[in-house]
Amino acid sequence: MKYALYLGCAIPIKYPGFEATTRLVCERLGIELVDLPFACCPPGTSMKMVHYDSWLVLAARNLCVAEEAGLDVLTLCSGCVNTLKEANTILKKQDARRRKVNRVLEDHGRHFAGTIEVTHILDVLYQDAVVEKIVRKMEREVPLRVGCHYGCHYFRPPKYMYPEELSPSESYVPVKMDHLLSIIGVEPTEYSRKFLCCGSPLGANMDQDAGYAITRQKLGHIHDRNIQALSVICPSCFEQFDMGQVVLSRKFKDNRKVPVFYLTQLIGLALGMKYRELGLDVHRVKSRKLLEEIGMA
Amino acid sequence: MTTLRIWKHFPREDLYECYQCARCTGSCPAMEVAPAIGPRETILKCLNLGHQDVVEDERLWLCCTCNVCEDRCPQKIPISDLLVALRNSAARRGNIPARLVLAVELLAKTGRSMIVHQLDEMRAHHGLAPLPPAPIEEIRELLSKTGFREVIEF
Repeated sequence: MKYALYLGCAIPIKYPGFEATTRLVCERLGIELVDLPFACCPPGTSMKMVHYDSWLVLAARNLCVAEEAGLDVLTLCSGCVNTLKEANTILKKQDARRRKVNRVLEDHGRHFAGTIEVTHILDVLYQDAVVEKIVRKMEREVPLRVGCHYGCHYFRPPKYMYPEELSPSESYVPVKMDHLLSIIGVEPTEYSRKFLCCGSPLGANMDQDAGYAITRQKLGHIHDRNIQALSVICPSCFEQFDMGQVVLSRKFKDNRKVPVFYLTQLIGLALGMKYRELGLDVHRVKSRKLLEEIGMA
Repeated sequence: MTTLRIWKHFPREDLYECYQCARCTGSCPAMEVAPAIGPRETILKCLNLGHQDVVEDERLWLCCTCNVCEDRCPQKIPISDLLVALRNSAARRGNIPARLVLAVELLAKTGRSMIVHQLDEMRAHHGLAPLPPAPIEEIRELLSKTGFREVIEF
């Protein structure tokens, strides 16, 4: 099992702990990762909104880099997977757009041929062969009530993200993170508005306070269900919840806090990895007390 | 300069599928916390007034890009594609939020969408090697050819 590791921008620059953990977890599970000269995805929340053609060409360049190495792309972020998967589908299906993009890329010796697939770390870990390895290599259970937050761009719009798995109403409700975590002894816990936005893009592009107002609503529903920790698969969602709780607790004098984990950090805990090794020491909302309560710190 | 190319990116006939049920706007997280236009009214304005009115309105940008509007639309109108087309058109006319300008300028200048600050130390803390430089020359040349400068100086 071998992939081109697509780090994106936020993970290697803001949250390198997720990168380090993911590399270690993949190594233990026999997933080989190859580093290639990728650039920014670029985000569907910024570049695509401003200039679609530029968005498509920069995304196509990344896809070409992976094609040249003959490897499928493994992303770690809901935004990166959204851009690269959508661009890959569009360029494979729409001849006119592909020709136009290739005319720009060919001056740089690149050519989009449509020979690879784009996937996300959650979908990679969810494969039978990997789940079997997790079960075999697991050293301990992680008995926490965890709320999963998938990040909108991981699965919407489903016509690009999961076209083969649409419901009769042409929608898609993700379940893989809940299922995967139940394997390591987590109690996946439902909460209201689970599949809605964390607030990050609205805050980043327009109005920080409005973005955090959405986060606050979601956190209210999360506390209602006595959820002990959150699991996310996107660095922007992570920041919105982790940093967001610090900002919101100051503003509203609310001391309730729920630690946020990146998915591979929870898998790493089950594989026996330690607090610092998992990069948990740099999170704003600390999880040490919670982990001590279940004998894992 | 203000040539409007929006209907090239979005099939205008799809707008007539909308019967204004407002399931999109009722689902919209941005509508709850900000004075956004909302997908229902955006479509109605495009039908009744033409999109000119919408692309000059800065509230067009109050959006999470979460695509839940399209997901829940009973008529399966590709609303996310409409909103991209409208915002591209707005950006060409200079209607673009200041924060977003900074974000795409950073991308065009550095090849990354994050500011790099004390990165090597931070990566070393997690046992990681320094991040290789971004292929900025190639990015800038590509952006010169795609017409990005028509919208953003870089």
